[in-house]
Amino acid sequence: MSSGDDRVRGAFAGLAIGDAAGWPAARHRWALLAPWTRRLGRELDAFAEEHRVTALPVPFALNQPVAALGIGPSDDAEWLAWTARTLEEDRRAAFAALDDTVRARISVRTALDNLARGLDPPASGHDNPHYFDDAAAVRAVAFGAASPGDPEAAARRARADAEVTNAGDGVHGAAAMASAVAVAVAGGSAVDAVDAGLAALPCGTAIRQAALDALDAPGDAFAVVPALDAAVQDHVYSYGVAAAQTVPVALALTNASAGDLTRAVPAAACLASLADSAPALTGALTGALTGYSALPEPWRASTRVLAGCCLPDLAGADLIAIADGVAERSGARTEGKQ
Amino acid sequence: MTIADRARGCLLGLAAGDALGRPAENLTPEEITRRWGRLTELEPGPDGVAAGTDDTEYAIFVGLLLETYGSALTSEDVARTYREQILPISGPMKGAGFSELGTVEALRRGLEPPLTGLWHRHGWSDGLAMRSAPYGVFAAGDPAEAARLAAVDGAVSQNGEGVHGGRAVAAAVAVAMTGAEPDAVVAAGLAAVPADSWTARSVGAAIRIAASRDDLARRLHAAVVTRHYPWTDLAPEAVALAFAAYLAGGGDVEESAVTAVSLGRDADTTAAIAGALAGAGRGEGGIPARWARAIGPARGACLPTVAGRDVREVADALVRRRMSG
Repeated sequence: MSSGDDRVRGAFAGLAIGDAAGWPAARHRWALLAPWTRRLGRELDAFAEEHRVTALPVPFALNQPVAALGIGPSDDAEWLAWTARTLEEDRRAAFAALDDTVRARISVRTALDNLARGLDPPASGHDNPHYFDDAAAVRAVAFGAASPGDPEAAARRARADAEVTNAGDGVHGAAAMASAVAVAVAGGSAVDAVDAGLAALPCGTAIRQAALDALDAPGDAFAVVPALDAAVQDHVYSYGVAAAQTVPVALALTNASAGDLTRAVPAAACLASLADSAPALTGALTGALTGYSALPEPWRASTRVLAGCCLPDLAGADLIAIADGVAERSGARTEGKQ
Repeated sequence: MTIADRARGCLLGLAAGDALGRPAENLTPEEITRRWGRLTELEPGPDGVAAGTDDTEYAIFVGLLLETYGSALTSEDVARTYREQILPISGPMKGAGFSELGTVEALRRGLEPPLTGLWHRHGWSDGLAMRSAPYGVFAAGDPAEAARLAAVDGAVSQNGEGVHGGRAVAAAVAVAMTGAEPDAVVAAGLAAVPADSWTARSVGAAIRIAASRDDLARRLHAAVVTRHYPWTDLAPEAVALAFAAYLAGGGDVEESAVTAVSLGRDADTTAAIAGALAGAGRGEGGIPARWARAIGPARGACLPTVAGRDVREVADALVRRRMSG
């Protein structure tokens, strides 16, 4: 039995665990070290290519502090925390208040430029080369957690936020994540949450088609990995953060694991090209279903304190305290699962 | 001036602009100035021949589609032609852009249009805009029909802004084929896309900025270029730069294409579009003779099925097909 508060914590901690589990987390956290370390990393990459050696470079510190390269949360946990802290603010105003020191997906960086040019939402998210990415789907976890048991309200708020930075599948993916999380934190089952997510995806969109294909793939969370890769990924181009790929994976692995983070997140992390955010979204859904207390303690401990690798103001922030703030405001402090 | 003369001018202008811009693709305006001053001559490619890239070969591909299907063209015809002529290409698809590559994978997956243009993430690519001039030649004087045909093609490989970009180019060419002034040509392109679109906002800004040539590249970049995306193939940006160059060039073929190249970004595509618009307006005689001499049959470097086809012959066939309905 988990309480509403515990499930809100579970959504946040689950996202941070998934965020930390994928290989790209260390790439993001590397931003905390001096730029010359990353320049050397690029040189090692070129060296490996030139010399036909298979020792692939990985993030390293040399004389810099090594702590940043341990397991820990990165970009997605920070953007979720930022969203939770600005939850009650006008979304355009919240983004416009960000300065040029932030690191973010292409959709967000472009939207900030668009706002500066005087373009308002939804055009700021629409006139955007990466309108389709899942930046808003990550933020949508906060709106889902803030609207327990009301997937429509969660989706409405997530869409309003998403339209600042995204359009099309990028907005639909946010609505799906918010809806599914809203059902999960209210004590719904994995099937209920996945159904609510799917219901937010309009017919005739690539994201709905990909979600249906992903949910059709047979097997448990680990066995289904190759089929998921084939179902959602065309491998034509870089950047595995398209909402039409990562949100369907999160829904499918939540379903295939019956909402068990310890099976779903490792499977998501095996999808190498989607390992930046698919594990995070998968962790948010499954963590919201089981609640925080059911998640593995070593992972909870390693992912609770934010690094500030994307939003420097969040360095050292306690993600669980931020989650508790959302739960308090939303009145999720309700009875346990019915 | 005859329609046939304008048709040849349009496709020669496209091919010459494409070849002119090829070495400058993805360079900044500053780098282009540093290397060439103004790039005005078609440079030989690696094999010693001045030739265009995917823009010319995919435009010929559209010419062949129209020769076969005319105004009855459907998205299913386009998808079938991809399956017959493009999917069998073995090894890398040279010169193809993101939208063509994504479409090929979507078709291999068994998807049908319009999902083929939605499945990959590059619906906004300028791949349709770069090849849409022949729709304007075929539907000369009828911008709505030209735009409709471009959208039929675009449903296979693009969505949203990528379709808008193709519609804008096709409609503008259709009006340029009547000998209209550049202002009216660009207005027709703008009228072919929804007012609440990225393309309309971008082209609108380009029209305002091109009214003065001072500091053109910097002002256009500030208004329509996306900074935080690593590629230059966004249709709203490419079409706006091409239209601005054509306006600033006063409809002169050389001035329009050279100006387009000087703006950088997807310089072969923007110069191809500007060259097509200007060439349709000025006819075959408006193409600088030294450029026209360098344009020979397509090599089929990107699309083997168009090898050996000359843009003049494709233009002539479009005019004949147009007469036969």
